[in-house]
Amino acid sequence: MNLIALAARNVNRNRHRSLVTIGAMTFAGMIMILYASLMEGLFLSTERNALAMNIGELQIHVKGYRDDPDLYTKIEGSEKIISKLAANGMTASPRLFGFALAAAGISSAGVQLRGINLELESKVTRIHEHVYKGEWLNRVDMKGVVLGRKLARTLSVNVGDELVIVGQAADGSMANDLFQVKGILKGVGEEIDRGGFYMLDTSFRELMGLTNGIHEIVIVRDDKTVEIEQVTDKLSAIFPHYEVLNWRKLQPLIAEILDLSDINIYIMLFITYIAVAMVVLNAMLMSVFERIREFGVMRAIGVGPWQLFSLIYTETLIQVCIAVVLAFIFGLPLAWYFQLNGIDLTQFISGMSFGGIAFDPIWRAELTQRSVMAPLVTLVLIALVAVLYPAIKAAVIQPVKAIHYR
Amino acid sequence: MKLISLAWRNVWRRKRRTLITASSIGFGVLLSATFTGMALYMYGNMIDASASTGFGHITISAVGYNKTPTLDKRISTTDELREKLIREQGVADAMVRIMGQAMFASAVKSVGGMFLAIDPSQETEKYNLLIRLIKQGNVFTDKDGTGVVVGNKLAEKLNLKLGKKLVYTTTDVNGEIVSEIARVSGVFSTGVAEIDGGLVLLPIDRVRNVLGYEKDEATLLAVMLDNQRKADDIRHRLSEKLDLKRQEALTWRDTQADLAGMITIDGASNYISQLLVALLISAGVLNTLLMSVLERTREFGVMMALGMSARQLFKLVLFESVWLALIGLVVGVMITSPWYWYLDVYGLDFSAMLSGEDYSVAGVLVDPIVRVKLYIETVVIILSVVFTLAILSGVYPAWRAGRIPPIESLRNI
Amino acid sequence: MHRFCNFGLLLKAHIILLVFILIISNSVFAANDNSDRAKIILRQIDDLWRGESSYGRFTMRVKTQHYTRTLQMEGWSKGTEKTLMRILKPLKEKGTATLKSNDTIYSYLPKTDRTIRLTSGMMMGSWMGSHFTNDDLVKESRMEEDYVPRISFEGKRDGKQVILFELKPKPDAAVVWGKMELMVTLPDYLPVYEKFYDEDQNLARTIVFEKIKTLSGKLRPSVMRLTPADKPDEYTVFIYEKLQLNIPVKDSLFSLSNLKRY
Repeated sequence: MNLIALAARNVNRNRHRSLVTIGAMTFAGMIMILYASLMEGLFLSTERNALAMNIGELQIHVKGYRDDPDLYTKIEGSEKIISKLAANGMTASPRLFGFALAAAGISSAGVQLRGINLELESKVTRIHEHVYKGEWLNRVDMKGVVLGRKLARTLSVNVGDELVIVGQAADGSMANDLFQVKGILKGVGEEIDRGGFYMLDTSFRELMGLTNGIHEIVIVRDDKTVEIEQVTDKLSAIFPHYEVLNWRKLQPLIAEILDLSDINIYIMLFITYIAVAMVVLNAMLMSVFERIREFGVMRAIGVGPWQLFSLIYTETLIQVCIAVVLAFIFGLPLAWYFQLNGIDLTQFISGMSFGGIAFDPIWRAELTQRSVMAPLVTLVLIALVAVLYPAIKAAVIQPVKAIHYR
Repeated sequence: MKLISLAWRNVWRRKRRTLITASSIGFGVLLSATFTGMALYMYGNMIDASASTGFGHITISAVGYNKTPTLDKRISTTDELREKLIREQGVADAMVRIMGQAMFASAVKSVGGMFLAIDPSQETEKYNLLIRLIKQGNVFTDKDGTGVVVGNKLAEKLNLKLGKKLVYTTTDVNGEIVSEIARVSGVFSTGVAEIDGGLVLLPIDRVRNVLGYEKDEATLLAVMLDNQRKADDIRHRLSEKLDLKRQEALTWRDTQADLAGMITIDGASNYISQLLVALLISAGVLNTLLMSVLERTREFGVMMALGMSARQLFKLVLFESVWLALIGLVVGVMITSPWYWYLDVYGLDFSAMLSGEDYSVAGVLVDPIVRVKLYIETVVIILSVVFTLAILSGVYPAWRAGRIPPIESLRNI
Repeated sequence: MHRFCNFGLLLKAHIILLVFILIISNSVFAANDNSDRAKIILRQIDDLWRGESSYGRFTMRVKTQHYTRTLQMEGWSKGTEKTLMRILKPLKEKGTATLKSNDTIYSYLPKTDRTIRLTSGMMMGSWMGSHFTNDDLVKESRMEEDYVPRISFEGKRDGKQVILFELKPKPDAAVVWGKMELMVTLPDYLPVYEKFYDEDQNLARTIVFEKIKTLSGKLRPSVMRLTPADKPDEYTVFIYEKLQLNIPVKDSLFSLSNLKRY
């Protein structure tokens, strides 16, 4: 107690010095919170974009479907499956796929028909927000379709144009019908850009003569904190006759890219912590060595090395706590600003896709418990470690030497 | 002049402090050099790799081909053009190629994909990734023959082996459907499923025949450069040599938009991260300088009483920060050089973190061993930025130094 | 005596030489003979179905793992380059037509009233849901150009006189098969089966010809059944009800505008 009072008084006495030290640590803390939040934002945005447009978090298929996609390889009883999933805290959307020829005027192209359930799909992906021209599908317009942007270009069609689809129906006859382009998507990923043809599931069934069964169920967790591997295992146990995979298995390439960029992010965070450590070390060193004469006097009048050491440590603790509070007070709004506005990268790109995913050209911060607590806790640790050397030095130096210290 | 040497001496009065601060500046240099170097190395690799899968660093193609790639868009007089281009400074090589879509069929089934028709005498392992990665057999030697090279996944799907035949079907310039027989002369394996399962190398003259092209027509000329960073400049130069109504020169940024986007975003986040680190280091430098000013108020008070002006004090402290910055740079170069040498020669092996096979980003292969590549300009930029920030950190303390009234300072014991 | 002996020797030598030459030339002629004969017989078989022009009405039944389909169709042909086929039944598909003109195939779809030209990507797709591909339609008329026939067996099989042809694709022919076999019975050269093999001599698919009937004045098989080797439960069957050969057929019949009329 005495110690704390003394420490507090010391801190107050050397106001300038303390302020500078606290200032340095606060600044470091603020930057750390901002940086960590930006990194969280980076994690999330790449994941979000990759998965939010198309892949979702988990998918169910008939075993073998992905290697050899066939109209007839279907999942039956999808409604029951979806309600079972809902009961387990998952939201799911069923999809129908087929391959056909799309022709408009003299142009034609092979397309991948995607029959989707409008209501459920919007709960599982964000593709409906990704329309570049025109609008998304709706229940009323049964012959409306939405195309990938490169497909639209290959067919030389625009919103409102008509095109014909020809394919082989489930009963072997030639499926054919006329559709109208309702919307064109922004860049999503190579596959969808080149051949993505979105239509209502009811329209798909009518066109292809497939009255029941679906090809794919896309799933997202309601509760994002549940571990995805756990979920995968649980669902595999519930549906052993189907193949349940999470996005890591479905898109190992994306998983690797994200893992690599995760590593990148951790390295950057680590480096930044080192930079913080240097700043704090600097401040601590100076604040101790500047007062070495003072400490020498204290030792000369009988203050023990251990007591001196504790005093210095307590002073440091007080300063760093103030810094932490200030960093919290100022760092949070700073990070929040970047969460709302983000850093605009649009000048560099325009709706590109990387590794098959579309990239949102605004880099937003994401305040999480982790992005705030980790930096602050680390700040305290760093300060305490940084002051170790100077504190020991001060504690053991001979009083006479200290007084004459230059 | 005197101020400068005085500043120098002042800096060294506090050896330990100076060295610590200089180290942190040096550390900043190290960081920046490492991250920028690694990133540039990786980007360079990816750009080169992606350039060798089809389009080259610079692509000469028909106007509009990049937007809507169809087989009817072609350039002519390619042999002549190639001769001209190879002689240009900075151009390492140029290859004439035809690219298009086709169906590939064997007795088992048929699969859709893309073809790259090449003249094997113009292609080398260095500039053609697919040839480099041939695992069985060889690239065909006859540019008007039936030999073709397929990806291993395609070979699997169609049950093909070396010497076995396949038939490719495509649409010619008149819109007619044409087929041609071919035999597998080699099989490549890139590790990228889309390429291994959907790309075939065909002999260019045979394809010209099949498509109804003239003897010297092709889809594009893939130009490879000695230094991919000069792509934009060289593109301008090359554009002047073309018939701009029919042909255009594009850089890899135009033809490989996905890769360009990824590199840009990665680069941007890299720089922003470095900026934050720089800010932190500046904070440290500011801290040091401010402390040194504050503890010398008495000294400054005396100096001002003896006739030194506030302005001169400002300059003095500023010079001190300049010296500090310079020392920091020297330290930076000293600690970075051996580290850089190590990275350049040995590199950091990340392959343990990735799954066995070569992996790809944006459809382009990446080498798991990361080395560094720094260019003079980059080094100059890093050093100048660090230097500038260090000096800027000195402005406030220098200003503070000039502000203390003599009497006040004398009172501060 | 001496002169008579010499002449005798000379004569003998000449005779031997002559015989030798005859033997050699015979085998040479025999080889050409085989290929030529093969070609002649094959042309005859072709004429069985095609003639200079033809009109036919037939039923096509397809059985696959996923569906069984029965269509009643009619078709015209002129030479080897022009073919027009149209669906008559069921009502849902009535009017769907395929026009083949040289190497191009057009499909007319009455539901959307559209005619599309088949792209290279669709050539390997199935024709009307059967086991034949669109490519088969184009390629089957080019057999003579693409293959070198030879007779590989002549004799009795199952109590009948047969000829077995082996057709190997020419080195530059754009066909995926390694070889084809065709068996016909004598004396009318009625086809019994056609087998398609890949390059490793694995059987890929078989067409059998059955139910000999009198059609258009001649005895011909009225049923043609295709079975894929890897799915023996599946088949595509053509049953000819009516066949008229060498009737007058106008060129204008094989036009795009005519596709639509039904």
